This record gives sequence, C-alpha cells and structure tokens, in this order.
Amino acid sequence: MAVAQDHATPEGRSSSPFWTIARRDSLAGFLFIAPQLIGIITFVLIPLGLVFWYSLHEWNVLANTFTYTGAQNYQMLMEDTNLLEVLGATAIFSAGLVVLNMSLALLLAVLLNQKLAGITIFRTLFFSPVVVSLVAWTIVWGFLLQKNGGINGVLLLVGIEGPNWLREETTAMISVIVVQVFKNVGLNMILFLAALQGVPNELYEAARIDGAPRFKQFRRITLPLISPTILLTSIITIVGSLQVFAQIAVLTQGGPGMSTTVLVYYLYQQAFQFHLFGYGSTLSIVLFVIVAVLTFAQWQMRKRIVFYES
Amino acid sequence: MAEVTLSNVRKSYGAVDIIHGVDLEIRDGEFVVLVGPSGCGKSTLLRMVAGLETITGGDIRIGGRVVNDLDPKDRDIAMVFQNYALYPHMTVATNMGFSLEHRGTSKAQIAERVKWAADILGLTHLLDRYPRQLSGGQRQRVAMGRAIVRDPQVFLFDEPLSNLDAKLRVVMRGEIKSLHQKLKTTTVYVTHDQVEAMTMADKIVVLNGGRVEQIGAPLDLYDRPANQFVAGFIGSPSMNFLNGTITAEGFAAPGIVLPLPETAHQWRDRKAVYGIRPEHFTLDDNGVPAEIILVEPMGSETQVTMKLGETQVTGVFRERVRLSPGETIRARPDLANIHLFAADGGQRLN
Amino acid sequence: MKAELSPRMKTALYGLMCVLLIPFVFPTWWMVTSSVKPISDIFAFPPQFIPQHYDWTTYSKVFELQPFVQQYWNSAYIAAAVTIGTMVISSMAGYAFARIRFPFANTIFMIVLLGLLIPSEVTIVPLFQMFLKAGMVNTHWPLILVPIFGAPSVFATFVMRQFFVTLPNELEEAARVDGLGRFKIFHKIALPLAKPALASVAIFTFLHSWNLFLEPIVFLSSADKFTLPQALTQYTDAYGGPMWNIQLAAATLTALPVLIVFIIAQKQFVEGLAHTGLKG
Repeated sequence: MAVAQDHATPEGRSSSPFWTIARRDSLAGFLFIAPQLIGIITFVLIPLGLVFWYSLHEWNVLANTFTYTGAQNYQMLMEDTNLLEVLGATAIFSAGLVVLNMSLALLLAVLLNQKLAGITIFRTLFFSPVVVSLVAWTIVWGFLLQKNGGINGVLLLVGIEGPNWLREETTAMISVIVVQVFKNVGLNMILFLAALQGVPNELYEAARIDGAPRFKQFRRITLPLISPTILLTSIITIVGSLQVFAQIAVLTQGGPGMSTTVLVYYLYQQAFQFHLFGYGSTLSIVLFVIVAVLTFAQWQMRKRIVFYES
Repeated sequence: MAEVTLSNVRKSYGAVDIIHGVDLEIRDGEFVVLVGPSGCGKSTLLRMVAGLETITGGDIRIGGRVVNDLDPKDRDIAMVFQNYALYPHMTVATNMGFSLEHRGTSKAQIAERVKWAADILGLTHLLDRYPRQLSGGQRQRVAMGRAIVRDPQVFLFDEPLSNLDAKLRVVMRGEIKSLHQKLKTTTVYVTHDQVEAMTMADKIVVLNGGRVEQIGAPLDLYDRPANQFVAGFIGSPSMNFLNGTITAEGFAAPGIVLPLPETAHQWRDRKAVYGIRPEHFTLDDNGVPAEIILVEPMGSETQVTMKLGETQVTGVFRERVRLSPGETIRARPDLANIHLFAADGGQRLN
Repeated sequence: MKAELSPRMKTALYGLMCVLLIPFVFPTWWMVTSSVKPISDIFAFPPQFIPQHYDWTTYSKVFELQPFVQQYWNSAYIAAAVTIGTMVISSMAGYAFARIRFPFANTIFMIVLLGLLIPSEVTIVPLFQMFLKAGMVNTHWPLILVPIFGAPSVFATFVMRQFFVTLPNELEEAARVDGLGRFKIFHKIALPLAKPALASVAIFTFLHSWNLFLEPIVFLSSADKFTLPQALTQYTDAYGGPMWNIQLAAATLTALPVLIVFIIAQKQFVEGLAHTGLKG
C-alpha cells in the first residue's frame, strides 16, 4: 500500500490538504441547498423587495408611467374607506374559519380515534373533499346554495323557506366559511388523529386508575399532549385562510356589496382589474405584515400554551 | 493487516478538551480493547481512528500511513456499530456486499465474498431476508459479516454487544474472539464492560476523562493496576479500598489495623489507600474481625458484605458462609495481593 | 379513551358520524348525479337525489365548448412537473439542513423558512411584472416555477428536514465507512428510506398545484393555455350565467380521477400525510 508523505509541522501535526473532510462536507451542504436558496431569493425575496419598492410608486399601466410618490399609496391606504370593510371581512372569515375548522377537526379526530368497526371507511369519507379539486368543490356548493338549489330544496321539504344564501351579506359570509371548512377540515383531522394516537395508552390507564372521568382525561392529558400539533395546525390554517381566493371568486365575487371581499381578493381587484399596481403592492405589504404578525404571535404563544414538546 | 499508531492525538470541541494527547501502539494482528466509564472518550477515540470524527491535534497512522484527513472510505477499515447500522431497505446479502459495490468489485466477486462471510458466520440461510426480519443476534452477525467481507486492514467495534441480552452477549463474545483468531486482522474494540475487555483483549487500554490510565495485558492490569482508578475499574466485584496510614504495626484504617507485606515498611507514616480484591480474603481464625452486613450466596461462591473497622468491604469466599447479619467472622487478607496507592493522586506504591 | 364502548354508545357514535358525513359526501354525489340531468331537472322540486332522466350530452358539450383535453393535459403536466421538481429540491435541501454541518446553516435555514411567511399572493404583483419582462406571461412557466421555489416547496423542505433529522446517525457513518460520498449517501441510503415523507410531499404538492387558481387567472389569457380550475369557470352562457349541468360535468371529470386514485390508495394517502414532520 502507498505510504503518504509525512511532513510534520512544528506542532507535530502533519500538514493537511486544503480539502479536509469538513470542508468537502461544507461544499456538499451548499450544493444541496443551492437550488432552494437561489429559488427563494429569485421568486420570493426579490419580489418581496419589489413589492415594497412598487408600493412607493404610482404606476399607470395604460400611460406606462412609473413615478416615485413616497408614502402616497400608504396615505391612500389610510383614506381608503373600503379598506376597513375589507379587513373586517378578512378578520371574520379567518376567525370563523379557524375556530370552526379546528373544533370540527378535533371532534372528528376524537370520533375516529374510537375502537369501532369500519372506522377507516369514515376516515376516508371525511377526508375525501381534500382531494376533490377546489374549484369543482366550490362550483357544486355554489350550485347547492342557489336560491332554488339543493339545500333550499331540502329545507322546503320540511317546510322552511331558505334564504338566497350567496346574495345576502350574513349568509354569504357564512357560506364561504362553511364551504372552505368542509373542503379542508380533513387535513387537520388527520394530523390531530395522528397526534391522538401518539398519546401513550398507559397515561389513560393511569388516569383511569386515578379515577379521572373521561372529560377530565381529555382536558388534562389529551389536550396538553397534542398541544404542539394544535399550535402548528392553527398556524397553517390561519395563514391558509388569509390566502383564500378561488372560493370568493367563484361563489360571491366579493359580494354582496363588499361583504365577502377579503384582502387577497381586494388586492387582486386593485392590481389586476383596475391596474393599480402601486396600490396593489401596498395592499400586498398589508397582507405580508398580517401574516408575519400572526405567525410570530402564535409562535410566541408556544411558550405559554404548549405544555409538552417532543 | 496493519499496525495502528496514535501519537499525541487530541480532540477538542471549542474550548473543551475531550481527548488529551493519547499515545498508543497497536501491533499488526493485535486485539486491543479500549475500556472506560461512559464519557471517558473511548468511542470518540475509535471514531477518530475510523475518520468519523476530525482530530484536533496529533497523528493517526494506519499501516504506516498518516490518515488524519482521509475519508473513512480511504482508510481501509471496517466498523461494527453499536446499533448495527444495517441498511433497512436492503437484504442481508446486499447489506454485506454494499461496500464492495463502491470499490469496483465485480458482481461475481461480491457474491463470492458475501458467500464466504456468510458461511463463516452461519448466515447463509438468511441472505435474502431484510434486517427487520432478523433477531438481535442475527443482526449482530450481519454487521460483522459486512465488516469482514471487505477484508480490511483494521476492524473497529463500537460497543457491539451492548444491545444484546446477557446470555447472547457471552455467545457473541466468544464468536468475535474466535473470528479474530481465524482472520488475525488488527482489531480495536470499544466497550464499557470490563468483563468483555478482560476476556477478549490481547491488550487493554483503560481510558478515563480523555486520558490513558494504563495499557497492558488483561492479567497484568488485574494483578498490578498502575493506579487506583484502574484497580477499581478492572475486576468484578471491584476492589475494596480503605483509607489510612502505613505504620509499624500494619495499615491503620479507621477502627482497624490491617496486616501489610514486609516491603510496605519503606513507606512508613505515609497516608495511603489499601486495596484488596474481594477474592483475596480467606476465612481464617487468625484473620481480622469483620462484622457481617449482608450474605449473598451464589452457589459456587458466597459474596459477603462486611465491615472492616468502619469501612464497608466486599469479600468473596469459596466456602459457604452460613451466618447472619450482625455476627462476626474472621477474614485474612492475602498479603501477596495487597495493593497500596498514594493517598494523593492514587498512583501505585508497591 | 381506548376502553371498550357499550353497544348503545357505539350506535350513538355511528349515528353521529353518519349525520356529520352529509356535508362531506353529499356534494360529490350531487355533482355527479346533477351532471347527467337535463337542464330542466337541475333545479327541480322536490330535489332528485337520483336522476329521473338522463342527458349524457352534457359530457360531449364539455369538450365542444372548451379545449378541455388540452386543458386537462395542461393541469396534469404542470402538476407533475411541480411535484417532481419540488421533491428533488426539497429533499436535497431538507437533507442538507438536517444532516450536513456547514457554515451559516442555521441562518440560511431561517431565510428559507421566511418563504413560509410570504405566500405567492403577497408577491403576485412583482411576479407578474418579472414574468412579463421575461416574456413568460401566458405560458405555463410561472405556474411551474413559483410553486417549485416558493412557499409550497419551503413547506416541503421543512417536512423533509423533519424526516431526515430522525434518521440514525450510525446509518450514514456505516455508509461512509462503506465508501460512499455525500451524494451517494443521500441517493442510496437517505432517499430510499424517506419514501413515506416523499410520498406526503408529493401529495401535498400535487394537490396544491392542481388547485391553483389565482396564478392561472393572473398569468394565463388564452383558453388553450388554461388549467382545469380556470376552465371550469368558463362554462357560461351568453349572459355570463353558469351552464350548470355542463359545468358540473366538467367538474366531475376534474374531480373524479383524483378521488378514485385516493380511494384506491387511501391508506398511503392518509398515513403518508399523518406521519411526517407535522406530527407534534
């Protein structure tokens, strides 16, 4: 076998080549993350910078002018009488969606965690809307929610005259929330179910020996132990709720009035229907700030509400 | 086949030194066991030889070649891991032949080598199974098979038996030993179990706190431990220690004076530690009185916990002792097997 | 919780679940059955839960009114490209973040995670301008590139990282001793073991791309470039009102294949999604 040459340095350490094991590994690390990093910079971070830059300009697409106007768009934001309504609709939509989604998901997960024959069939069916094309799902619900549609038809069978769901302010908002909840609650349900199944059975056995009633077991053992999952899913759900667009566009087009015009839909209208790219960018910044603040707040809450982390 | 040399090998994580300048010569074909309590640096040292940990200072040579910055794959070593590290998605045969696939060995040759190794280890009927279908002992054998297939210069074992039950451990201990006698490949073996070290090693390296405490043949370490740490670590049950002073009458420990060999008088008036192994007491009417605290009959021998003066010690007797706690026996320390250590530093005196 | 339930309790639970199932299952049934009803029966009272008359021409009209085959192909190949691209990029990055020590790894990971805070809805205006400048508006590039590199792939990277973190160190060390370099360890050891995580990434990514709506309507303007979600909304009469039965037929054609694949492979689907890094 070859005997490598052995140049000893004053410390008694043989001289090492430049490409040491650690250096080669660092290079590999950079190569592995390079596509993602370059992608993030190109398609996320630079556009984010541009959004901010655009928000300081007035951009007239038809006249093809791009003028620096400083904080004028933000001034406009403050004076925009629609904005309050839009933010209100966004808040109602998100809050309603998160509360309904999380509680229904938890209820379904607890039901599916019972020892019952054929439970996987129920699991499959509750989950199935997740894999149905979003717009297809929305179109069917739009059809069901027509004045003379399926839901009012069923209601009429039992003698109730239903409202015109998508054309009245309160019922329109309820409708878009409910349609979205049924579409996606299966995801959170599955994540909760996995978390529930991860709670060691011995804990329940110990609690039963201690004489804790079922409800107490749920509150004192189950909830604390699955709290990391609850937190994570709530972040995902709330950020997802702020991105809702297709349902609004298909079901209500933001109406009636502005009652279901959530921020993303308003942003789309301003930028791509009215070609106000500068103002649209300002609205994007608002959206970004909301997402960032909510995520940060929930992450901070982790310290208070998450009792246990694996 | 190769010798392994460590000279002044050091390792530190930031300001914390893990290995403080270890020197070690391993001859070609030797079976060396690194032993010590957990956290003593034995696994780190082995992994440095393997190339899985970088070295902060010093040199490691395998077969005369400095390997400090070589990748594990270029060091011509094979390693058996504590949890076997079998690839879960490959069959036993693929697991064993995997390293050869990356060394340009032909398919036929790989098959032949795998068959050879499987024959040696009695794995032939398991070649098509997956690791999850094997028992603990079988996995252990596959891990060894993977190592011997390549015919490397050095085998490295990192606590390979610690996940097996006691009975299987004894069986595998014998198998590894006889495998070494068959293949005569230089072997470095890490364990925290001094029984494994004693039974398997040609040479034991006792490590503590990142330093070598003593290097020597198993029985040398047992008979003449260089310091109190080695004395206490090697041997089971472990050696008894009594603190006291060497006097003209003998060793003055709290509440008792113990006999000393003649040679001990040169250290008269010195504070020292008196070491005696449990098996070096004899039941004798001329012995020193010892109050019995606990009697544990093992069948072949009897283990007695007793008080010599104020110090609690353990004695192991071939005879059956039918006495109850509270009664007194007379036990005579075997003068030829008394170990004396300095009270400060614990170095051996005699 | 896992104690045996009494028969009465069981009946009550089955009853409760069946009631809860209605809004999950009935819409799909209503979509399929209504798609074959003649237009006159569509809003009939009392509602026809099983069609009384069949009108199969709705399905041929789906293809007559729109280049539906082309649109189907567009959606399918875009989703496939996004899925494969995301799997490659996120498994590599997730692996590096979990297992390779390199300078600034944590900082870079934080930067990448920022991507989760910036959904493409936030950056849609500059993205439109960028693709306009690159001449890629009314092509499928934006629908492929943005998800592969944006928030969805960051999420995938996170899932992959969570998985790779759990791989035992010893396996990689054994592979190093066996003579594998970084790339081969990734390719031959880590990736084959990551199949469950990869499967869930694939499902998430596919569904995300398949459902994409804002991006297509922003970036695409000609019918033969449209993707399915966008195409579904185009079945309208001269007054802009939806042609319900044709729209429902197109929706059925869009939804059913994925639904059938899901029902066949539901175990892998559901368990794949459940057993990734998302678990607490």
